[in-house]
Amino acid sequence: MSIMQYNGGSVIAMVGKDCVAIASDLRLGSQAMGISSHFEKIFPMTDRVYVGLPGLATDVTTLHHQFRYRLNMYTIKEEREIEPETFAHLVSSTLYEKRFGPYFIEPVIAGLQKTASGDFKPYIAATDLIGCLNFAKDFVVAGTASDKLFGVAEGLWEPDLEPEDLFETIAQTLLNAVDRDAYSGWGAVVYVLTKDKVIKRELKGRMD
Amino acid sequence: MDVSFAITGKGYVIVAADTTAARSIVKMKTDEDKIKVLSPHLLMAYSGEPGDTVQFAEFVERNIRLYHIRNPHGLRPQSAASWIRRTLADSLRSRRPYSVNLLLGGYDTSEHAPHLYWMDYLGTMVEVPFAAHGYGAYFALGLLDRYHDPEGSLEDGLATLRRCIDEVAKRLVVAPGQYKVKVVDKDGVREIAL
Amino acid sequence: MPDGSFSHPQQRQFNPYSDNGGTILAIAGADFTVIAGDTRQSEGYSIQTRYAPKVFRLTDRAVLAVNGFAADGNMFVKKVKQRLEWYRHAHAKDMPLRAIARLIQTMLYAQRFFPYYVYNILGGIEEDGSGAVYSFDPVGSYEREACRAAGAAQSLVQPFLDNQIYFKNQAAAPNQSHPAHLPLPDVLSIVIDSFTSATERHIEVGDGLEIYVVLAKGRSAQGLEGARGIQELSTKSDGDRVFVIRRELKKD
Repeated sequence: MSIMQYNGGSVIAMVGKDCVAIASDLRLGSQAMGISSHFEKIFPMTDRVYVGLPGLATDVTTLHHQFRYRLNMYTIKEEREIEPETFAHLVSSTLYEKRFGPYFIEPVIAGLQKTASGDFKPYIAATDLIGCLNFAKDFVVAGTASDKLFGVAEGLWEPDLEPEDLFETIAQTLLNAVDRDAYSGWGAVVYVLTKDKVIKRELKGRMD
Repeated sequence: MDVSFAITGKGYVIVAADTTAARSIVKMKTDEDKIKVLSPHLLMAYSGEPGDTVQFAEFVERNIRLYHIRNPHGLRPQSAASWIRRTLADSLRSRRPYSVNLLLGGYDTSEHAPHLYWMDYLGTMVEVPFAAHGYGAYFALGLLDRYHDPEGSLEDGLATLRRCIDEVAKRLVVAPGQYKVKVVDKDGVREIAL
Repeated sequence: MPDGSFSHPQQRQFNPYSDNGGTILAIAGADFTVIAGDTRQSEGYSIQTRYAPKVFRLTDRAVLAVNGFAADGNMFVKKVKQRLEWYRHAHAKDMPLRAIARLIQTMLYAQRFFPYYVYNILGGIEEDGSGAVYSFDPVGSYEREACRAAGAAQSLVQPFLDNQIYFKNQAAAPNQSHPAHLPLPDVLSIVIDSFTSATERHIEVGDGLEIYVVLAKGRSAQGLEGARGIQELSTKSDGDRVFVIRRELKKD
């Protein structure tokens, strides 16, 4: 059994029309035993940058704190909020710093990037556990149900979804993928980011 | 392998741990207290590698005490849990990590609410309504899913704990003989005889 | 040693199995069944051929899809066909679908300790005229289902099918319920979408797609006549009928 599957959990992010969504399950397990159904893996870094951290649960907490610290230092130094793309590189370098003794996390980043004209462009990215960045135009997935997420997302996703349709798409993708994964599930949470608000919804799911 | 349980209820946390100290197949002691009182409103049940457990528990105990001496207020359960987790997480990637699993139960005197944290030697931490470590977890978690009441009275909580202990006694081959049970609520920490 | 002596114990191993990738899928309708498979055959990162059928017509009412170790798969289909021919000679009729399913179980379990390394999906029409899918594991455990995916991209396709065929995690509109069976055009769209998705995200899936459609006796071929690249395979026009639709998939 791989360390990446010890606690279980999955995250997915999708791009929509002037919006992005990021979602995860809520399970924390110890191998096959379920410990908690309220273990959140997605964290807001700013109002427009969210990060999902599936993988080894101890590193979920450690990295969340690490990112919060580095982000605070950035915000103080720069006197402005971080942009998603910059944050993705911060994630990447933080992970690569531990190249030969990595954090066992595969982060997913979702955010809205400010453009020169002043409006916002959807941005999503994912990295492997040593920080190799993967930008995608459509969706990114990570965690123990990643193969299932790929399959369902590839079937359901389409370009330019409005926020409510994007919510439905990401929710259905996540729910149906984690139902076929023993290590993910036990409830889910979805965030939809638009230029003027963030919607958080907790989903009921199968509890087996 | 040690067995420990913890249950929250209306304004309290019950923490229970078996009292056996065993080396291999031999019981060395049957009245070992494996629940540390870290502060007037904080309990910590510890289990894991013999040697590491007491060493780590005492290290935590003294650091929490030090914080108490240095500062006008003691650490709240959330903050204490966070510090302990960090200590374990740092230890995990050190030359010789501690192998200690914890249940941390406390009563927050500022917001008047009980808190319970499940923690393992990796530094995994999560706040839960009830928790268990060791072989007892395989028997107790199912019962707790069924019978736990977050708004239950202390009597309800103790009755649920009794169920868990009885089930373990009935079905676990290496069931421990006795348990120590401690409660923390607004009045502080006290030991309870079942 | 050069002198022919052995100073160390030597071990040799022959591995009689390999994995040839690919994916198969079957969906049952009320009075039809769709059985599909891609046509890529690979070993590791090498493509052995872009056209190796995994789906086979057994009778006018039964189609078998075989996935896993291709050599075993081909041998197994050959033996099943042979048993069906013997049955025809003995009984002067085609074996019913549920009997074929049981036959496959016995044939697989007969090899319990040196199994055919294949996952089988049997699709077709039952004697009562309903569409049916039977799925098997390599040693013969089987079950009748409404839909099943197997093979390299099973983990990608099956949860998608749960959602689109069984309507899992979807609430029906007020005072309405989900249909137990979908119409043929919907099923064909879902099958094609499943394979294009699997091709996109799985390296062992692609090249070509063969979709077999079995229609119950008396059912019109409505919904099929428009299909591009369709071909009828049935021997009689007044019984259950079998069609195949061939499509291209991405080859990268």
